[in-house]
Amino acid sequence: MSIHRRRFIRSLAGSGLLLPGMLSEIMATEPVIDADPLAPKPTHFAAKAKRVIFLFMTGGVSHVDTFDPKPVLNSRHDQEHRARNFYKGSGWKFRPYGKCGTEVSDLFPHIGSQVDDICMIRSMTNLNGDHFGATIGVHTGSATFNRPSMGSWISYGLGSENANLPAFMVISAGLPYAGGQVWGSDFLPAVHQGTRVIPGIEPIANMHRRLETAELQRTELDMLSYFNQQHLKDRQGDSHLTSRIKSFETAAGMQLEAPDLFDVRKESKATLDLYGLDPDDTSSFAWQCLVGRRMVERGVRFVELIDGDSGVDRNWDAHAELTKYDRLARNVDRPIAALLQDLKLRGMFDDTLVVFTTEFGRSPFVASPGTDGRGHHSRVYSTWLAGAGIRGGIVHGSSDELGDQLGDDEVNVHDLQATILHLLGMDHEKLTYRHAGRDFRLTDVHGQVVHNLLA
Amino acid sequence: MPLASATDQEDFFESRVRPLLVRKCYECHRRKAEGGLRLDSLKDILAGGASGPAIISGKPEQSLLWQVVSQQHAEITMPPAEPLKAGEVRVLAKWITDGAAWPKAIRSSKTGPDEQGITDDERSFWSFQPLRQTEITKASSVSDDDSARNPIDAFITQSQQERGLIANGPAAPQTLIQRMTYDLTGLPVTPGETAEFITHASKNRKQAIDALVTRLLSSPHYGERWGQHWLDLVRYADTAGDAADFPIPEAYKYRNYVIAAFNDDKPYDQFIKEQIAGDLLPASDDDQSWQQTIATGYLTISRRIGVSPQNQPHITIEDTLNNLGKTFLGLSIGCARCHDHKFDPIPTADYYALYGIFSSTIYPHAGAEHKPYRQDFVYRVGEKKANETLTIFRNELNQLRKQERAAFERYRAFQTQPIDIPGHNRETAWQEVLDLRSQIAVLAETFPRLETAYAVSEGDAENAAIQEQGSPKDLGPIVQRGFLQVLGGQVLDKPNEQSGRLQLANWISDADNPLTARVMANRVWHHHFGRGIVSSTSDFGVRGNEPSHPELLDFLAAYLIQHDWSIKKLHQLIITSDTYQLASHHAPENAEIDPENIHLWKANRRRLDAEQLRDSILAISGKLDLSPAQSHPLPHHLTYYYRQHEPYVGNFESDRRTIYLFRQRIRKNIFLDTFDAPDGNLHVGVRRPTTTSLQSLYFMNSAFVQDEADRTVSRILNASPEFADRIAWSYQNLFGRQPNQSETERTQQLISKVSKTSGERVAWASLVRAMLSSNEFLFVD
Repeated sequence: MSIHRRRFIRSLAGSGLLLPGMLSEIMATEPVIDADPLAPKPTHFAAKAKRVIFLFMTGGVSHVDTFDPKPVLNSRHDQEHRARNFYKGSGWKFRPYGKCGTEVSDLFPHIGSQVDDICMIRSMTNLNGDHFGATIGVHTGSATFNRPSMGSWISYGLGSENANLPAFMVISAGLPYAGGQVWGSDFLPAVHQGTRVIPGIEPIANMHRRLETAELQRTELDMLSYFNQQHLKDRQGDSHLTSRIKSFETAAGMQLEAPDLFDVRKESKATLDLYGLDPDDTSSFAWQCLVGRRMVERGVRFVELIDGDSGVDRNWDAHAELTKYDRLARNVDRPIAALLQDLKLRGMFDDTLVVFTTEFGRSPFVASPGTDGRGHHSRVYSTWLAGAGIRGGIVHGSSDELGDQLGDDEVNVHDLQATILHLLGMDHEKLTYRHAGRDFRLTDVHGQVVHNLLA
Repeated sequence: MPLASATDQEDFFESRVRPLLVRKCYECHRRKAEGGLRLDSLKDILAGGASGPAIISGKPEQSLLWQVVSQQHAEITMPPAEPLKAGEVRVLAKWITDGAAWPKAIRSSKTGPDEQGITDDERSFWSFQPLRQTEITKASSVSDDDSARNPIDAFITQSQQERGLIANGPAAPQTLIQRMTYDLTGLPVTPGETAEFITHASKNRKQAIDALVTRLLSSPHYGERWGQHWLDLVRYADTAGDAADFPIPEAYKYRNYVIAAFNDDKPYDQFIKEQIAGDLLPASDDDQSWQQTIATGYLTISRRIGVSPQNQPHITIEDTLNNLGKTFLGLSIGCARCHDHKFDPIPTADYYALYGIFSSTIYPHAGAEHKPYRQDFVYRVGEKKANETLTIFRNELNQLRKQERAAFERYRAFQTQPIDIPGHNRETAWQEVLDLRSQIAVLAETFPRLETAYAVSEGDAENAAIQEQGSPKDLGPIVQRGFLQVLGGQVLDKPNEQSGRLQLANWISDADNPLTARVMANRVWHHHFGRGIVSSTSDFGVRGNEPSHPELLDFLAAYLIQHDWSIKKLHQLIITSDTYQLASHHAPENAEIDPENIHLWKANRRRLDAEQLRDSILAISGKLDLSPAQSHPLPHHLTYYYRQHEPYVGNFESDRRTIYLFRQRIRKNIFLDTFDAPDGNLHVGVRRPTTTSLQSLYFMNSAFVQDEADRTVSRILNASPEFADRIAWSYQNLFGRQPNQSETERTQQLISKVSKTSGERVAWASLVRAMLSSNEFLFVD
């Protein structure tokens, strides 16, 4: 019997809904079900974070235009750098925010207003300068081979807190670079792959009852239950049969719970205003943020909100048109700040880790003066963390005065992954899975927890 | 890498000289051989290039190499970009002065395998030992006592007796025919087939089973079932897997080759040879030769990664080697790319000994973002003839392509820098690109359609250098092409003439290779019983699981070899055993001793996999098209310009069997994914079925289940106007049996209850959906 069911039965007993004596009877007759792969699992040590909201900006957000001010670069704007190269300063002003005074550009005034809770990393590096490699790099730790995604590792390591929902959910309107590999479980059991949520009428595949009436479905499920009980009679002791019977219960639970999960109209006007969300508009990042909060509230462990897809018009890849950043930033700035505030209001900020990242930054140089775009730049860029176990109001690491080379305190994708696992109470060197003759881990043979980020 | 007879000079070469050459010279003076000069072997260096020998041993100041790097030469200065540092020049001078020592390629026939550090202990691991003949004799003698006894049962019974297990009795005929039909064809049994078999079995069970095995093995649907098992191993897909996921219109030919190979019972050793070196094998006619060429699709479907996979051959070859090791030998070779394998005795040198075989092989390029034009596909008429036919068309095509690329660059330039040309902007630039592309599309229509295959061909035969820590920029010693040392470590006898694929194929498929037959026999066993004798079916190494019945495994492997590597004969042997035919019911006394049923005291109840599930639902609804499929309706390959920003996306509806569905690598098929089918990216020897609520939601709410249930209702209603007949039809077709009294009553209740509120059709649809969702439908006893 799954831990959930045992818990459920115990809670009935606790609430007096079961008569004394019945509990042990039920517990004894329930066949023992194979360990539910999503049952909650103990951590390696006490966790600061119970869950993660991972904000992924597709395309490569320019660090020198957003979170990493470069006055020297600005002062050399349009000057020749080397043969055929020119400096390109930022078109956006930076200003200090909060008590800590961390500077953020005018693209993100709302996120700026939250800097006292934010740990800004200006020394992030990725493994690869292509969208494909860098995107899977930050998600799986490998830029070249298929590996399980971080969310899958966390689902595998921690299980789900809510039997009706998966442990790893991804809200992504389109497909990011590298497609479904971004949330794939690869060699980990498929139950740990990210469940993709597509904003719109049916965010989770088949979550809506297709039958006309609930009663008809009930009747049908009763018939199914009859078949399964008949079948089970002569086949005692097979946990696969019983766990599949149970899966229809959880599916029914999900069918019931999912519409509620996505029904943001249930939120107060104050909350909707905070996010700036029109509840009927599922296309905005505000919808993703608010639904993301509703997911973690319901026990989903790892929620990834992906902004944009592989279409250049819809993502942060800006070889030609940096001006689109105004539009893109407007779509995410307020909702993200609202998410941080909302988590605080609900007392969840202290045990929810929020990560804001992208696959790489953008180059401080351009081929000709006046170019309104920047190339890829994985050598150094910016990422930030907030919430559970994070030292707010600090800046960790730096790029050089141009935002070109790494300055101090590199944080590579493996370090970021190790740190996220650490906050969740897991040792990244101990979270392993045996595959193809060896124990694999998310961080492979790399990764160091960045203690300076931790409160 | 410790050298065989390491001298100080060779040490100096490895630590100082070679890294310098690699870093500063090889970009131009290795494969590219600029100025005709290669610097990667002493022979080439002494032979020199257009300007004469590069060195004169012992005399640096007379050596061209030293002159050009120390700025002493009148005309040439090298390297062109940045001169060497004084210390680096001194290193080269000392090396030349000392006689220009150049260590021999390692693993030459003189350096014995032992010098690579494989210990006797490692060599004595069970799976590297020859098949044990003595045990087989013993088993045969058991079967001699009772000539009807299948030798498998002798092995299994013995292990049960040793543990006090008492096997279940035989399964009922209707269970058995369902089990056998799903196992061998992946399709549900029809009521007519069941009835006939039950009648036959009641007269002579053994004869009925023999006849059934023969019928199923000769069904064309057998190859579609067992071909899928093989496609799991070779991570078959119809796209390349690069960032733009270029489609490969010819991929299906390999898929169909695999299906045909199983249907034809191609000897397994031949099957191996064709997939690795089919293009190099003799053939009696053109058809055979062409099929053998197509077979090398096994190599070409290696996973591609990123925007320019053609520039990362080491990644593609790693995928080949990884797959080859696991699929044929049950060994993980990939780890040795970066370091000597920590667990299995596979040193890095072995990896690069194999690597050289595949770097001497030409893999076709299916197109990728940075080079959307495909290359090196194989023409059936041969390259020469193809060139004759295609030259004029190609000239025109290349013209247009050049213009298209130029227009595309202009468009991209508009993206990155403001260009002030009146009347020209991004839109007009893009329009130019589109115009040229449509001209190419028009040309594509008239382009001669020569038959092509996604197959390999021979490249320049050349040994490969070790890539230190797996980095192709950091080259170490060159390794002679050859095979794994723990299994003999032979090297190529004519290394300059051939890639070595043929020799590799022969080596793997040799009856003396202790792994090949064991691994395959174990796979067949795994698919019949749900668990291999070695449960880690693709890992026969140190970290894999030990065989539960080592003697039986060796017996089966030897049986496979002795019966001309016939897989069908192996099926026959297994299926006609009592062990295969056991009932599946639980026995608490046995479960206490052997809870995992390792000793096979019962049949394992198994869940339909994704393919069986979809095929069954379509078969029951009457929609399944049982004809084999050919190509997918892909656009013409000359019109591909996919990019990571606009990757290829294909989705072709089909009523054919699931093995024929389009498989795309970076975009998952939701149905297959939900039901644990592999996604074409990774070798899968054992599928791990999961039970999730998303699967249950699929049964409850998906359009597919609803639609096919509705279609099934039409069949039920057409079957008979009588209620009793309709119920019988439903139970026979969905559960493979008759309903009992209480089931009939309960079903009647459902039908009348729902009919009242929603009508008769809906009522029957409810019944069908409940049946399709049930464990009885999904599990095979």
